[in-house]
Amino acid sequence: MQDFEPKIVAFVCNWCTYAGADLTGTSRTKYAANVKIIRFPCTGRIDFMILMKAFENGADGIIVSGCHPNDCHYSTGNFHARRRWIVFRNLMNFTGIDTERILFSWVSAAEGFKWADVVNNTVAKIREMGPYENYNKIAVSTLLKEEVSNHE
Amino acid sequence: MNELINKVTKLLNDKTIDAFIGYGQGSTDRVRAIFARTVEQASKLIYTPACTFNLSGYLLKHEVKHLGKLGILANVAALRSIMQLASEFQIKDGEVYILFVNDDASLTEFSDFQSIEAFLEKANIDITPDEKARIEKIEAMSVSERWEFWNKEFEKCIKCYACRAACPMCYCHRCTTDVNQPQWIPVASHERGNLDYHLMRAMHLAGRCINCGECANACPMDIPLNLLTYQLIDPIKTGFGATAGMKADAVYALSTFKPDDKENFII
Amino acid sequence: MSRIGVFVCHCGENISATVNCEKVAQISKELKGVEFSTDYKYMCSDPGQTMLKEAIKEHKLDGVVVAACSPRMHEPTFRKACSEAGLNPYLCEMSNIREHCSWVHPKDDLTTEKAEDLVRVMVEKVKKNKALNSIKVPVTKTALVIGGGVAGIQAALDIANCGHKVVMVEKQPSIGGHMSQLSETFPTLDCSQCILTPRMVEIAQHPNITLYTYAEVEKVDGFIGNFKITVRKKSKSLDEHLCTGCGLCTTKCPQKKIPNEFERGLGFRPAIYVPFPQAVPNKPVIDRENCTYYIKGKCKVCEIVCPTKAIRFDQEDELVEIEAGAIVLATGFDVLKSDFFPEYGYGKYKDVIDGLQFERLASASGPTMGEIRRPSDGQIPKKIVFVACAGSRDPAKGIEYCSKICCMYTAKHAMLYKHKVHDGTPYVFYMDIRAGGKMYEEFVRRAIVEDETQYIRGRVSTIYEKNGKLIVKGADTLMGAEPVEIEADMVVLATAGVANHGAEALAQTVHVSYDAYKFFAEAHPKLKPVETNTAGIFLAGACQAPKDIPESVAAASGAAVKVAALFSNDELTREPLIAVVNRQAPPVFSSCVGCFLCQSVCPYQAIEREEIKNRNGEVIKTLAKVNEGLCQGCGTCVALCRTKAIDIHGYSNQQVYTEVMALLND
Ligand SMILES: Cc1cc2nc3c(=O)[nH]c(=O)nc-3n(C[C@H](O)[C@H](O)[C@H](O)COP(=O)(O)OP(=O)(O)OC[C@H]3O[C@@H](n4cnc5c(N)ncnc54)[C@H](O)[C@@H]3O)c2cc1C
Ligand code: SF4
Ligand code: SF4
Ligand code: SF4
Repeated sequence: MQDFEPKIVAFVCNWCTYAGADLTGTSRTKYAANVKIIRFPCTGRIDFMILMKAFENGADGIIVSGCHPNDCHYSTGNFHARRRWIVFRNLMNFTGIDTERILFSWVSAAEGFKWADVVNNTVAKIREMGPYENYNKIAVSTLLKEEVSNHE
Repeated sequence: MNELINKVTKLLNDKTIDAFIGYGQGSTDRVRAIFARTVEQASKLIYTPACTFNLSGYLLKHEVKHLGKLGILANVAALRSIMQLASEFQIKDGEVYILFVNDDASLTEFSDFQSIEAFLEKANIDITPDEKARIEKIEAMSVSERWEFWNKEFEKCIKCYACRAACPMCYCHRCTTDVNQPQWIPVASHERGNLDYHLMRAMHLAGRCINCGECANACPMDIPLNLLTYQLIDPIKTGFGATAGMKADAVYALSTFKPDDKENFII
Repeated sequence: MSRIGVFVCHCGENISATVNCEKVAQISKELKGVEFSTDYKYMCSDPGQTMLKEAIKEHKLDGVVVAACSPRMHEPTFRKACSEAGLNPYLCEMSNIREHCSWVHPKDDLTTEKAEDLVRVMVEKVKKNKALNSIKVPVTKTALVIGGGVAGIQAALDIANCGHKVVMVEKQPSIGGHMSQLSETFPTLDCSQCILTPRMVEIAQHPNITLYTYAEVEKVDGFIGNFKITVRKKSKSLDEHLCTGCGLCTTKCPQKKIPNEFERGLGFRPAIYVPFPQAVPNKPVIDRENCTYYIKGKCKVCEIVCPTKAIRFDQEDELVEIEAGAIVLATGFDVLKSDFFPEYGYGKYKDVIDGLQFERLASASGPTMGEIRRPSDGQIPKKIVFVACAGSRDPAKGIEYCSKICCMYTAKHAMLYKHKVHDGTPYVFYMDIRAGGKMYEEFVRRAIVEDETQYIRGRVSTIYEKNGKLIVKGADTLMGAEPVEIEADMVVLATAGVANHGAEALAQTVHVSYDAYKFFAEAHPKLKPVETNTAGIFLAGACQAPKDIPESVAAASGAAVKVAALFSNDELTREPLIAVVNRQAPPVFSSCVGCFLCQSVCPYQAIEREEIKNRNGEVIKTLAKVNEGLCQGCGTCVALCRTKAIDIHGYSNQQVYTEVMALLND
């Protein structure tokens, strides 16, 4: 566990959180290198299926972030996103997916410091939780099965 | 039963409908759906306590649609399906002739969506106490127990998609399971792909599931997959004030929002 | 097989201080499909861009990844450079290894590895990019201005003076809006009519402006640059070409006791009427609800007296079709009235009036010729109470906002009163005095100091009548909430400014959003105050929120500039990063099932219905279709569509899926 480096994917909107993370950069605020950002036009574009894919491809944690309510560049994309998150989080919870490993946040273009905090806190938390064994396990057993079926 | 046969015979004779979807005796002692196009076929219609499943799934099937103007014997679940399908622009008012058997065996015919809406307002649409208890049992588990529970269940899935075929709300002609660019859902039935599939199925039915239970009935592997969507009914109702299949012009819960939708997890 | 070029920028030392740029370039070269890779000190500099262009040509690159600063900074720069080298600009992507990497991490292997990861993600993404062409939409250079208050007038004149055609649609028989009802205006006390009337006339005479009064917008189709509007011109029962506006008919009409809307019920008008003397157009309309002929079937006095035979009793409403490239909404506001204040006795006591009624009393052309006389008996009130915030800032009344104009016009009213009734005493009950604005605070001071207005801080709890006096009960919160009671002769309520009756319906017709109070919503509260969320539709004046005249006019000129900018080209060029609903060969046509659950999520109403017909013209399918003119590319619909029938350029399913795969599977 000592040298466990969590893999964390951040799904963020272009207008607020991506710009906020740019500001973290321009302010030279340091944070952990484990988080890598994938840019979306809006949180409304972030499909639950892409979150699913991140976990099953070995992400130990996920950050989803966009504009605060009422600040959406497209005015309502984040409101729609919020509803979907509420429902998807419910479903994850019910199926035993660890919702502690997925963080939803609002980070505006002015909140460079908040972004650094969000990243650092998430990395620290996931580091403590360890690799996402459950999901990894099914990924591994799946690979084995795929190999078997390829041989058939 | 005679009343039903007489009514359908009349409807077929005066060409009000071209075919009627009802229940008939299957080869074993099971009840099955029949599609009566002739008076002769109509005479085979039955209505027994075993006739509980939701026939509305057939309404949008290609083969059935081609029979012409349809009539259907609907139960509460079927009526809700029809309302939900109407709100998704899949069925128009007056397009389907709808009959309903009352508790006293008399027939009600629903001439328009409005009368269905009025009827549903008073109908019992809840999930059964048994289903409720099973959901609560799962909810009481720890996260990892839940994960183990569902993993065991999903392991059994053979991806026959009988659940999808049985669901009246799964009418897409190209399901995302069949999309291969990108291949969202792996084709083989292994744990990962199965989990993907079931999460996707549940999300796609969130706020649309009318709790008829046909998916679980259809599953040859006895996976209680209806619980996945049932479990979301309550939060969607209390959180967003929406219940599927109650109004023909309802706006889908996930197609809308309130600026003050409540959550407690976004930082 | 792809031929991708990777260009890693040092940004002086901004990147190379912590990231090993040479190594990133080297490792990238090993990636499948990468044809060329290099690193350079300043990619955005001239030599850097030249290098990029030459590499594109020399290596026949079909995709470019520039690993440098944030794409929010230089994406346009590099896309342009690619385009100049003959590569479609949308085949260029940037990896943000500065803001998101070198600046926020220390110099170590992990940082360089992260940069490698970020490059790999973009290399894989760019393989799925498609060459796109910017979208061109033709622009009809005519603007529709809805509402002819001061805001609509300003917007119309500004646009028309830029050389573009304007159609103005006004619901009332005359343009002018609320400003035409005002007596004198704060903060300068110049006469409202005197400054407004010339502009109203200008509207009527401007060669570029077509004016439809007594008309309403019934339907709006189309999108930015290409709106199709249906206007209903209500029948005026008049041939406007024949009418000379002599007004004889209005003097002979036997119906004389119809409450005059313009005077806010303080006077009367006949059934055939011109709303006010300076009206534009200055021609009458017949109010059919009150006309004896329409009620009883006979009369026609006006027809008999009309010297030019201009009356047309059988005239019908006319529908006019307009094509416009932009729409300006300037439908203004309304003030609360009627039974909203049972505790203040408005409607019960004749001498409790609202601010607009006071404007009419103070107006030289009003029902009292400018003398302040109370409605009940025509006496001059010696004690007058003004109640500010009547309804505003009162959650219990459902109006939480500040109506903004009332503090100022109340001070104005107190002043006007004092100027006309020298021995009278004006009292003002207020919650706070909000006088932000050029010369505004000074104006209020004048009312207090020079005109000796008694300002009392507190809400009025009740008003009742006793011995011919209005007893106003309140508390003075500055004096320890001590109860105050004033025996007044007249009370003026500064009733809250609210959204126009019918604003909601109009918003739905025009397809713009509105807020909880039914005021039209701007696209961005700070940076897009005159835009709506619907491209090509703009806001001017008090239809957006209560505004005073200077603000309304400023907003109107702002909206006019937006329209003029839009009209400055024959075609509109838009980024092609928008959503599309797939189309396939018949009989499938599309994987869209026509559930239209996507329709209501679109913030821009960009999702339309397309009917697919067979050879006999029968509709066999109805599919979703994205309007290229309206879609802004948020992708909210994409994430909703169950069957993945909608996708979005630039952030397509393939692209984002590939990005996740590439990031997690090195
Ligand atoms: C009592 C009072 C006193 C005031 N005193 C002052 C003052 O001293 N100084 C100052 O700066 N401001 C003052 N104001 C504020 C001023 O009236 C407004 O700022 C100004 O009228 C706003 O102009 P507008 O064009 O936006 O709206 P409006 O004046 O309301 O004009 C809107 C126009 O649109 C028309 N319309 C509405 N709906 C439709 C439709 N569906 N289709 C077509 N047309 C439609 C209306 O008939 C009207 O002609 C005062 C306001 C009040 C209530
Ligand atoms: S019916 Fe059962 S086995 Fe078949 S796909 Fe559905 S869940 Fe899996
Ligand atoms: S694009 Fe998707 S969500 Fe929209 S109507 Fe078609 S299937 Fe439904
Ligand atoms: S991408 Fe956004 S703006 Fe475009 S059609 Fe979809 S929801 Fe509307």
